[in-house]
Amino acid sequence: MAERHDPLRGACKDFEQDLILYYYQDCAGIERRRVESHLVSCASCRRFLEELQSLLPATVKSDEPSPAFWQSYSREIRARLVTADEKSRWWDAISFPFRPWPVPAVATALVLAVALTLTFTKGRWPFHQTPPQERELVEMASVTDNLDFFNSFDFLDSMDLLEAVEGKEMQKSETSHQPL
Amino acid sequence: MVSSRPEESGDEELVTSAQRGERQAFEVLVDRYKQKAYRIAFDFTRDREEAKDLSQEAFLQAFSHLKGFDRRASFYTWFYRILVNLCLDYRRRRGRISWESLDERTEKGNGLDKIANPAPSPDQQAMGEELSRRIGAALATLPPKQRAVFLLKNHQGLSISEIATVMKAAEGTIKAHLHRAVMALRQRLTELA
Repeated sequence: MAERHDPLRGACKDFEQDLILYYYQDCAGIERRRVESHLVSCASCRRFLEELQSLLPATVKSDEPSPAFWQSYSREIRARLVTADEKSRWWDAISFPFRPWPVPAVATALVLAVALTLTFTKGRWPFHQTPPQERELVEMASVTDNLDFFNSFDFLDSMDLLEAVEGKEMQKSETSHQPL
Repeated sequence: MVSSRPEESGDEELVTSAQRGERQAFEVLVDRYKQKAYRIAFDFTRDREEAKDLSQEAFLQAFSHLKGFDRRASFYTWFYRILVNLCLDYRRRRGRISWESLDERTEKGNGLDKIANPAPSPDQQAMGEELSRRIGAALATLPPKQRAVFLLKNHQGLSISEIATVMKAAEGTIKAHLHRAVMALRQRLTELA
């Protein structure tokens, strides 16, 4: 790979990222060997790596609080956990009917109850009582439908009649054209 | 059920017990990870009280959402994600922090304790404080994600794949963030020198 050296950055551009991972020992196998073989021949990258080794540990600002701090920490977090636990138990009790599983369960039970009621009480429930006037209208409508039906029969009869007449005429014409 | 000594139980076992409602099991997890949680929160805030609040808040959120923890990652990774998100939110809420004042607050302490390091000479102390101030200022200029990746790598020693899991990002993205963060820090510290 080409070594493009940037005097401001101090390391070869193509190796910068790998050198950082190499410093953190988070580069393995082929990448590691590639970096190591490059370091042998490149003084700039060696300087860059040395710089990382002196700069990066200095950025860690450690803070080691005393045991008193940790005791207070544990007391506080326990108290906060107790409060959170009590709150969640109370909320669980309140929200129980609205949880995802009871809703479909209740809906299914209701549907089943309605279905069973309808099955076992069939015929006992006057679901649709038609007023007398409407009933007459319905009866008249059915008679009208029947009339239309019979009218269509009349039409068929007339068709038969026509066919019969046509047949007779055909016979006549055939006999008149027969050779003597 | 957690064994007779919950402190000896594994994370998985403790999580199972806590998911069943045993708060004491979760308290063992808190004891196990409180120092690590505090340290990462401190890396982000550089303030003892803020770090304590943020890390405790992360434990509380983990406790509240424990029933939704699906075990695709380890408890620690899952908890880390909650903590890092809280730290990033904290950074967004607070904007850029006056690192100088925070360093002063940390070094003076809150009266409870002192940093447990052997006392340096006045010269060493002054140089150390100056370097710390510069580093704080340089870190403060990093974009939140670059800063988070840098802190998780440099301060917490997480691997690239662990950071990728915590931050829900591709490893390549994490490497790029780390690269940019290190280069920016190097440049800022050189400018300040």
